[in-house]
Amino acid sequence: MTRYQSADPAALDDLVGRVSPLLLRYFGASRVGRSDAEDLLQECWIRIHRSRHTYRSSEPVMPWIYAIARHTRLDAYRKRRRRESREVLVAAVPETGHQPNADALMEQDSLDRLLASLPEAQRDVIVMLKVTGMSLEEVARATSSTVGAVKQKAHRAYAALRRALGKDGNDAG
Amino acid sequence: MPDKLNDADLARQLESWAASEPAAELSPEIRQKIRGALSPSLAPVTPLPSQGWLILRFLAVFVLCAGGLIAILGKTGFRLMTGFQMGAMAAILVGAGILLSRALASKMIPGSRQALAPTLVLAVSGLGVIGVTALLFPWRASSDLVPEGWPCAVLELMIAVPATVVFGLLARRGVLYSTAGLGAILTGLAVCLALIPLQSQCMFQRAPHLLLWHLGTGMLVVGLGALIGWRGRDFWIP
Repeated sequence: MTRYQSADPAALDDLVGRVSPLLLRYFGASRVGRSDAEDLLQECWIRIHRSRHTYRSSEPVMPWIYAIARHTRLDAYRKRRRRESREVLVAAVPETGHQPNADALMEQDSLDRLLASLPEAQRDVIVMLKVTGMSLEEVARATSSTVGAVKQKAHRAYAALRRALGKDGNDAG
Repeated sequence: MPDKLNDADLARQLESWAASEPAAELSPEIRQKIRGALSPSLAPVTPLPSQGWLILRFLAVFVLCAGGLIAILGKTGFRLMTGFQMGAMAAILVGAGILLSRALASKMIPGSRQALAPTLVLAVSGLGVIGVTALLFPWRASSDLVPEGWPCAVLELMIAVPATVVFGLLARRGVLYSTAGLGAILTGLAVCLALIPLQSQCMFQRAPHLLLWHLGTGMLVVGLGALIGWRGRDFWIP
């Protein structure tokens, strides 16, 4: 990261290659299609590039990157919501339904589908903790909250996942 | 999957599940696109100073502005206050200034450690000022509450609005996501700064006057700051 700040093209390439798959996974878990996730990834890299002077070498890099990624996703969500609300004003377009139902979860036995059933804040925490492997402290930094708040969100997410898995099991049985 | 999994079991299950899932592959085209978008503007950058330095910078402006304004506006109010009143009010306003400076500095750097939520700092500071005013200042009624009060409100606005701009300019090198929280932090810091010289020059050191005109105007400014930050978000997001 410090080499990237010093304008080393190889460092940029290396960073893009190493971090992008993780970010793609992060964006993919938020109920968007592959092409939307790639758009978010590109937007995120532009933001990382513009704000690279705010990274300090004494601090961990992943919370810094994920904090930017989180805001990229939130802004895209707000933008989409605004666009949808305008479209509804012109003609009553039916909701596209971003909330997957439990049946869909049962049919799609994948982690991303399961995580998609969680509220955004809880999903962020679980993806960062369990998919990316960040520590509680790092997740707290990335989500601008405290370690206690992260633990609480994780606990609630586990309860919601247990309910989703339990329902899957019941429906299957 | 058993129905009764505890958090640790479920966490382990998720970890192993995540590890077994194939990694999201980045297509060469997307990688090329990203590289193409970033490479032309790849230039060396000077990292921001540490969070401690950023906090000190905000506090230096806070102290210098408050001190300068006290020197200009006079100390009539300080002479009318007891040492206990002055100490309690100063402790709350300076304490809030320090905590809000810290919150603003952490807003500038993505992924910063957050000790206290800015909304909590604002709420505690507001309640602190209400408590100190209500308990330590006399509740003498005055028939001239409005004529006595509006000049204080105008003066507070005349200090708080430019101070918000100054703190905003100081923070602009950071990554400022346009949120209600940022608006509230900037205006909260500016209001804390404005209340110190206002207290020093005010000759109406009575609880109703202080609560209605000093704190009331301050709360209005913070509310407006939060509202502008919240509404402005829609304009700033392209």
